Amino acid sequence: MKKATLLVWAATTLLFSLMDQAAFAHGERATEPYIRTRTVHWYDVTWSTDALNVNDTVTVQGKFHLLNDWPDSVSLPNLVFLSNGSPGAVMTRVESYINEIPARQSTKGLIVGRDYDFKLVMKARKVGQWHLHPVMNIHGAGAVVGPGEWITVSGNEADFKDPLTTLTGNKIDDLQTFGVSRVQMWQFGFGLIAAVWILWWLRRPLIISRWLVVKKGREDLLITPMDDKVAAALLVLLAIVVLVGYTRTTSEFPELVPLQSGSLSTPPLPKPPHAVEIKFKRAEYDVPGRSMRLSVEMTNTSDQPVSVGEFTTANLRFINKSLPAAVAAVSSKFPKELVPRNGLVIDHPEPLAPGESRLVNLDTTDAAWEVERLVSFLSNVDSRMGGLLFFYDGKGNRSMSEVYGPIVPVFKKTI
Amino acid sequence: MTDNDQAILAAAEMSPRIARYSRTFDYLIVVIAAFLVWSVTHIHFLLFAGDWDFFIDWKDRQYWILITPIVSIMSAAAFQAIFWTLFRLPIGATASALLFLIGVWIVRYHAWEGMAYFPLSLVVPATGLVGAMALDFILVLSRSWVITAVFGGVIYGLSFFPTNWIYLAPYFQPAEHMGEMASVADIIGYVFPRSGTPEYIRIIERGTLRTFGDSANWVSAFFSAFVCMFAYSVFWLMGVVACTPKYIPVGYRFKELYGAKIDAGAL
Repeated sequence: MKKATLLVWAATTLLFSLMDQAAFAHGERATEPYIRTRTVHWYDVTWSTDALNVNDTVTVQGKFHLLNDWPDSVSLPNLVFLSNGSPGAVMTRVESYINEIPARQSTKGLIVGRDYDFKLVMKARKVGQWHLHPVMNIHGAGAVVGPGEWITVSGNEADFKDPLTTLTGNKIDDLQTFGVSRVQMWQFGFGLIAAVWILWWLRRPLIISRWLVVKKGREDLLITPMDDKVAAALLVLLAIVVLVGYTRTTSEFPELVPLQSGSLSTPPLPKPPHAVEIKFKRAEYDVPGRSMRLSVEMTNTSDQPVSVGEFTTANLRFINKSLPAAVAAVSSKFPKELVPRNGLVIDHPEPLAPGESRLVNLDTTDAAWEVERLVSFLSNVDSRMGGLLFFYDGKGNRSMSEVYGPIVPVFKKTI
Repeated sequence: MTDNDQAILAAAEMSPRIARYSRTFDYLIVVIAAFLVWSVTHIHFLLFAGDWDFFIDWKDRQYWILITPIVSIMSAAAFQAIFWTLFRLPIGATASALLFLIGVWIVRYHAWEGMAYFPLSLVVPATGLVGAMALDFILVLSRSWVITAVFGGVIYGLSFFPTNWIYLAPYFQPAEHMGEMASVADIIGYVFPRSGTPEYIRIIERGTLRTFGDSANWVSAFFSAFVCMFAYSVFWLMGVVACTPKYIPVGYRFKELYGAKIDAGAL
């Protein structure tokens, strides 16, 4: 019995040690739910491809909406930086834009309640399968990670190059290695002088003998006139090396600029169509049922009948599968794990007529609430939820409304 | 063995046999001390200077030139004080800077490039090695920590910028990127993304330093030199305190707890 247990233990250990242990997660589910559900809502996000070779590019683009119910404990998006989430620099960032304005530096003054579009162009560098997200870093709040898609990169990593020509006409073959050998050569040179100095002292009787001599007050034996000469010579040598090196460098590179810092600003996108006014009534999270239920009063302010097509929050897209326009809006390439299978269930799914008001209960039941680590919003000091509702009219035109309010944990159905 | 070495052993009253044992002990202690100096210097620097020397696009004209030497002179001064006070060995500052530089390169290769895929061009380190050597040389020549603080501290702070500029200057060539001018360092920082390090957390020349125009580097270097004098003095004295063992008197019950056999008659 003992032998069998040992054998199983050894086999399991061997199995796990042979399995790929790479950690692919990079914190996309780590941010608190009240930030992910009530700040930046990403939508219409697409990836131009999910398979590419080294040096090929993938474009991630879409839109994001900044919810009006921005949490008090989270800094407003007064200063943001559009980035990408991936495990290290496996891809290089070629370009990034917010509303077609280059987002090379930070962007200031985004307006809560408004929409912006974004675009990221990434170039494949490391071979492997990488999860690629858009990320909005908010100063004082942290990163809000958008939906992620698995990108497979193949080819030869050694082929990757990132050349650049400076404004003074100097050609840089590859930014990955630029300047490194120059740094190493100089630092090795300084290190060599340092090593000589240390060895000059280490070659003599050291610890106990020197300590005893210090105790006896015979310091004259420990530092000799030759030591003084060596120290003076090396001091002069270093001064000459640094002086000559600095002078030659300034003449070699006469046109240099400091690091460029600052921020850009951009106006928001025009307000999208808004066909339905939402009056929040109640939201509850059914803990055993893994179901978030919303009760809202909807008023159609447009001149067309509209139907609820989608509820999205924290990158999850709950789709009303009985509405073809809503189903068609989800690309077949969109990450499946972010489109819960049960979708959005509506107790009164018939279209809302122009001018009509109706109390509607929306049911989003799926293990995704747990998988995406969104249920801890129940333990927040500010237990509220938020999201976007998308509506479609008979012609397939889409409009968007915010929905937000307090959320109550329940252990049996009340709405 | 030189005449001076023999004179030292004679003054220490060591027989040739004891001297051989002492030499073996030296080797062991040097290896252990090297790891100690290495790790303490590294941790100290990471805690207090950190990002300013991690990335090429953080090495600005103000805080990089100011913070990096001020922080790195601290451990150099403390170890110099310990080595000098106990053994009259003027190698503490050099050893601290050299071991730190070796450690930094190991981390940059294996952690930053090997594990996070950041190219070395993004994470090339600067070094205070030249200033550290100057500290040791001046201590030998002056035999005085006060003179070392005044002259060595100033040289340490002042030499940091020109020393590192020799090999880091090429990163500050201008280039065009997305319709804007940027330094090559800025572009390297942008191209190789750090998901958790947004651009806005860089602290680049905040304040009124830029009123000095192209001389901003040297203004920072002189201020750094001024502060380095005081940083050196404080940490030298801390090193001296570390060389002075103090014992806390404890009672017999405490000693018994740790296994000492207390003679009841002696109580």
